[in-house]
Amino acid sequence: MAATRPRVHADGLAEAIGLGPAELAMRKRFLEFDDSDVHRLAEIYDLTQEHVDQVIEGFYDHLLSFPETAAFFRDPRLLEHVKGRQKEYFIRLTQGDYEQEYVADRLRLGSIHEKIGLPVRSFLGMYAFYLRQIAGLLLKEHSEDPDQAFETFHSLAKLLFFDIGLGVDIYIYQRERTIALQQEAIRELSTPVLTVRDRLLVLPIIGILDTSRAQQLTEGLLKSIRDSRAKVVILDVTGVPAVDSAVANHLLQTVEASRLMGAQVIVTGLSSNVAQALVTLGVDLTKLNAVGDLQGGIEFAERIMGYRVVANGDGLPEVVDAGSDPEAG
Amino acid sequence: MPVPILKQGDCLIASIQSALTDADMLDLRDELSDRVGRFRSKGVIIDVTVLDVLDSFASRTLRTISEMVRLRGAETVIVGIQPGVAFSMVQLGLSLDGVTTVLDLEEGLAHLERSRRARAALAGG
Repeated sequence: MAATRPRVHADGLAEAIGLGPAELAMRKRFLEFDDSDVHRLAEIYDLTQEHVDQVIEGFYDHLLSFPETAAFFRDPRLLEHVKGRQKEYFIRLTQGDYEQEYVADRLRLGSIHEKIGLPVRSFLGMYAFYLRQIAGLLLKEHSEDPDQAFETFHSLAKLLFFDIGLGVDIYIYQRERTIALQQEAIRELSTPVLTVRDRLLVLPIIGILDTSRAQQLTEGLLKSIRDSRAKVVILDVTGVPAVDSAVANHLLQTVEASRLMGAQVIVTGLSSNVAQALVTLGVDLTKLNAVGDLQGGIEFAERIMGYRVVANGDGLPEVVDAGSDPEAG
Repeated sequence: MPVPILKQGDCLIASIQSALTDADMLDLRDELSDRVGRFRSKGVIIDVTVLDVLDSFASRTLRTISEMVRLRGAETVIVGIQPGVAFSMVQLGLSLDGVTTVLDLEEGLAHLERSRRARAALAGG
């Protein structure tokens, strides 16, 4: 499903999530990440440079030892590529200038992980792994001065939490975009309004009704009533698996609004689940004109409109002699 | 702006031409009630096609008119409520309970014609 999602250009991501300079400054203030932290991180640049291969190799060995995460890196070329990216990332942590460009880079990385479907827990696990590794490195480096090691570790933790914030934001943003697109798709699967007889409409409703869809459905129905001058409308809810009180109220509103436009609504196909739910909800259903199934609804509507359906013949298909000329008969 | 009221046989047709103030609504109520008696009308049609809003006061007044007209011996039909108006009315919980509403003027006249025939049948005519 992610594949069908139109791509937002990586440079536009920060803007799309609303990460302007002011927001970034606020986040850093919140994490108490300041120039002294930048300075401390710069001091361990050489240290990370020196150990980057070891840390990243260790990280991927760790990843590959879990089947769940190993599945993402089956392709050796891909593995080499992502290792390269992770090394860049790891060194980048100590290179200062944690501004727009840095953020755009982080977002791009998070976006890729989201796209391949890496679970958030694995994504977060990556940061935990780095913290563990670096804590070890720092303690070894500053074995005579654990306070300094601790300070530097703190600075790094702040920066990583800053990154995690960005990563989680991008995960949520991308998922929400997927949801929005799917909702759009559902909306576009319009509910058809079918004319069965002159001035008799049928609305088959399939799938979950939520508030916005119910609203759209009502609007569409009311316009159809005006355009086709309908007298009776059959609302068939056979395909609706469940209703809640909001939707039940919407059905009643639809019925009432249709009445205001001079059309009578018949609801058909209420399943026993839905019927039970409606009764349990205690919605006032006295205005709801319900008939068991669509066939019953159409028959009822025809009676209201004064139609009488008469069976003609025995109801079996007419036998046509293949040799005879239909025009002649 | 006052609402023109047309007399067509034993029907009165109030054709609203533009958005109405509360005072206009009350004038319409009084005028209709008065003319139903004067012309011995049997039906009243109020055409609200041009209105894109029916607020609580207007819908209450329409209910009142319907009830007054009934007491004066005629039947009221509201015609031409637009989809958007109908939808916002039910969302705001404004009901027109007990008031007959139909699609448009043609339907309204047909409805009153059916009522007339039903009365004639009752009277044994």
